[in-house]
Amino acid sequence: MRVTTANSSDRSIATLQQRQQALNEAQAKLTSGKKMSRASDDPTAAARAERALASVARADASQRGLEASRNATVLAESALGDAGELLQSARELTVQAGNASFDDNQRKSLANAVRSLRNQLLQVANRGDGAGGYLFGGQGSAESPFVDAPGGVQFRGTEGVNMAASGEPLPLTADGNAAFLRASSGNGVFVTAAAPGNSGGAWVNAGRVVEPSVITGDDYSLVFHVDGAGNTTFDLLRAGVTSPVTDVPYVAGQAFEFDGMAITVNGKPGDGDRFDATPSARDLSVFDALDRLANDLQTPGRAAAEVTQTVQAALRDIDSSASTLIAERARLGEVLNRTDGVEGRIAQGKLLAQSERSAAEDIDMVQAVSDFSARQTSYDAALKAYSMVQKLSLFQYIG
Amino acid sequence: MSGSALMSIGMRAMVANYAALQTTGHNIANAGVEGYSRQTAELATSEGQFTGAGFFGKGVDVQTVVRAHSDFLTREAATARSVSSMDSARLESLRELENVFPTGETGVGYAAGQFLNSMVDLASHPADDATRQVVLARAAEAAGRFAAAGSQLDAIQATTTENLKSSVTAVNGLTSDLAQVNQRIAALKGLGQPANDLLDERDRLVSQISSYLQVTTVPADDGTLGVFIAGGQRLVLSNQASPLSLVPDPEDPSRSALAINDSGFDRTLQARTLAGGSIAGLLRFQNEDLVEAGAQLGQMAAALAGAVNAQQSFGLDLRDPPGSGAPMFAVGAPLAIPNDANARDAGGSFVSSVTMTVTDATQLMASEYDLRADPGGAAGAWQLTRRSDGLVRTVADGDTVDGFTLDLGAPPPAATERFLLQPVSRAAQDMRRVLDDLRGIAAASPVTASASPANTGTASVATLAVVSGTIDPELTANLTFTSSTGDYTWELRQRTTNALVGSGTATWTAGAPITINGVELQLNGVPNNGDAFSVVKTAFPASNNGNALAMVALRDKALVGRSVLSTGTVGGGQTVTDAYASTIARVGVRVQGADTASTISQAVTNQAELARSAGSGVNLDEEAARLLSFQQSYQAAAKVLQVAQSIFDTVLGIAKA
Repeated sequence: MRVTTANSSDRSIATLQQRQQALNEAQAKLTSGKKMSRASDDPTAAARAERALASVARADASQRGLEASRNATVLAESALGDAGELLQSARELTVQAGNASFDDNQRKSLANAVRSLRNQLLQVANRGDGAGGYLFGGQGSAESPFVDAPGGVQFRGTEGVNMAASGEPLPLTADGNAAFLRASSGNGVFVTAAAPGNSGGAWVNAGRVVEPSVITGDDYSLVFHVDGAGNTTFDLLRAGVTSPVTDVPYVAGQAFEFDGMAITVNGKPGDGDRFDATPSARDLSVFDALDRLANDLQTPGRAAAEVTQTVQAALRDIDSSASTLIAERARLGEVLNRTDGVEGRIAQGKLLAQSERSAAEDIDMVQAVSDFSARQTSYDAALKAYSMVQKLSLFQYIG
Repeated sequence: MSGSALMSIGMRAMVANYAALQTTGHNIANAGVEGYSRQTAELATSEGQFTGAGFFGKGVDVQTVVRAHSDFLTREAATARSVSSMDSARLESLRELENVFPTGETGVGYAAGQFLNSMVDLASHPADDATRQVVLARAAEAAGRFAAAGSQLDAIQATTTENLKSSVTAVNGLTSDLAQVNQRIAALKGLGQPANDLLDERDRLVSQISSYLQVTTVPADDGTLGVFIAGGQRLVLSNQASPLSLVPDPEDPSRSALAINDSGFDRTLQARTLAGGSIAGLLRFQNEDLVEAGAQLGQMAAALAGAVNAQQSFGLDLRDPPGSGAPMFAVGAPLAIPNDANARDAGGSFVSSVTMTVTDATQLMASEYDLRADPGGAAGAWQLTRRSDGLVRTVADGDTVDGFTLDLGAPPPAATERFLLQPVSRAAQDMRRVLDDLRGIAAASPVTASASPANTGTASVATLAVVSGTIDPELTANLTFTSSTGDYTWELRQRTTNALVGSGTATWTAGAPITINGVELQLNGVPNNGDAFSVVKTAFPASNNGNALAMVALRDKALVGRSVLSTGTVGGGQTVTDAYASTIARVGVRVQGADTASTISQAVTNQAELARSAGSGVNLDEEAARLLSFQQSYQAAAKVLQVAQSIFDTVLGIAKA
């Protein structure tokens, strides 16, 4: 094939430019550290990097949601700790109130101390989360979730918890209703109580469950009879109907077992006195329990049996409330534990996404350097060849 | 035999060699001129003179000057050049287009993702003004990126139009030059010798026109060359050039089309009939690549805006009293463009019109549609062709297709009329945030689900999502499980009067949502017999984050390009992130493909040019050798003349003596 001067020169220059361009690209990759400066360099990797970037941004957002949840949970957990301490103090006061040598005035001062604790507890329950919300606001509440209304403290909010957008479900609030107002009444299975208007000097304990499988869930009553000889017996009523168990001789302080339950009546019951055992419900408000305790302690001129009954009931209610608070606190602790796990997973996901993005975008330095030097060599060779070939011409030799 | 015979031979030899030297000099002078064909002086032995002693040669004659030329190779080179300039013009434009879809933090997809991510913070602090401010700022940022990308597309369209205009002007200049050269060649035809340099000039013009538009050439008997484009449109015939012009596309006036002046009328040329040249490349870019990119961007913009606005409307904002959220974004409206040929009234306005209403933005497709009367002639039936995949459907007035409803105005279009429908093409350009009130962001859900505190099972409320605008927050839904295997009864009661509105029984299966009153309730765990759940009006919207959580969930929802599946349900589609990632990949693949095509066609062009120039080009070494050889011949011829003269002198000397 004939080689023509102009075309061969054009082609050589074009080739030189291509070599130079290749060298420039290699240099740009080396300096930017990216093997992909535009999507067309590697469309699949570009799409991969884009998705990975979205995952990184999402991990950051989830982490922010998680921090919000953790912040609220830590605060709520510590608030429940405070509440537990307050209840412990109330319990000590209650035990003191059982002291038979106390008179009305001493009990009244104890009542005042209980009121103060109860008010502090209300403050704790209404504690804010530092960001305009309430720790125990549930799924939303009014200005403060617990309101000191006539008839006791009420929860002005929606039960349940708000969730944070943290990738995995984590709470943003605690359910104040469940924590403070929904303890099990009685011993958790049934509630014992002296009927109002009992005339004698007897009191009933909280009772206990001896055979869980035969618990019926009915209302029971013990009705006492004292005959002329001073013999005391009682009848068992089930759901308001006299049961076959009648005329049981009464022994003070001895447990009476029936249908899986055991309750102990102590003291000296009067004729017609009644003690009830009703199924427990999750409706015990810690505030109501403390209110009852304070009111009872404040009431002057009460018999020793009444005071004992008050103390018995108050200890039972305080313990039940405390165990609910402890359970809620344990649940929050578990949430914090889970938060750490979620945080680890978020961080791991972010790391994966980052390395995915890096794998898609970043260059392999060793290969890039080797590419660069290969291109450098080829450009160098092309330049040398061009300058040598251009010198050759017949005109050089025509004298 | 006279003594002057030798002198005559010497003279002729000198003239002939001088002519050859002149031609060689011309070749050397033009060695670097593009399109120059090497010329050779053709020498021929003169016819001998007969004498009794035989024929005596009379020397040499210059017959003609020919150019080394191959019609075939020249045409091949021009055609290859037109293909490669088509590919490189498209590649350059596509590289511009690629800049509209950057990867990483500067991209549209990232901004959209960050907007949805800001909802995470809103969920954490639903009533916090600072967080709401961030959400609004991110919304403005996302809308702004879409609008900026849209206007970049507009700018690319404008650049393309300008490029086309200047190309058309250049072609018109070249064709009128070619017409003149044709005329001069025809005039010189009678002289009987080829007008080599004019022919080169004409080939060069054809080659230059080819780089703009692929042409076919037909030589005429009078030596002129007819030049045709687009499968037979006359561009140059004899000394007449038909001017090209750039006109608005009859289908969409925002785009350009090429028109040729045919007997005083501008005839629009279909872009697909143009086989090569940069004009064809630019038109193809404009009609395919740019349209697709605009539709994809618009589809994402419309889908995101539609989904966010819908979610806004499902939620409760923080205004007093709380109401359902106002739209967050506005996007460009769908366009139905009447064909330029459609009937007009006396005032020049179109008689019939078509309007489109978007009913479900998440079902919009990234495509344009052709609407025309049903070819079968059925009354009231229209043929709708989706351009992206060529799907043809028959529709009627009021039908809903691909997320939009067609409304053929009154009077309905005539059978010959056509419309170009662009449901999303302008969506991104006009996207903006329309919600300016901090408290207008609907973070709260209108209803709240709660489990009864007395529940004994493990079931809890996992999510509560408003899925339909039919929700009535004034209705309270109560669910009570009647077995431990998921059977439940439900009732709907008026919130204030407690009047029973509806009730029934159903069975819950794990993982499946319970749909009631326009909401979907998802339970975790297993409910026990007697467990109860209620969905009631949200009492405290300021501290509820239900709708913000639903906004967050939009990150994982397939919002873009959902379609009606064969089962009748709506499914498929992509998340916003995936949609942007695949748009990037698609544009990238286009650029890559164009790059490959351009590299290949450039190589073909180089090869064709090499083949052409191998025959026609000048090699300076060759010319130098010829220069030497003709110089020697010239010197020899001069010697012949000298001898002839000395012979003559000898004869004269005899006479003197």
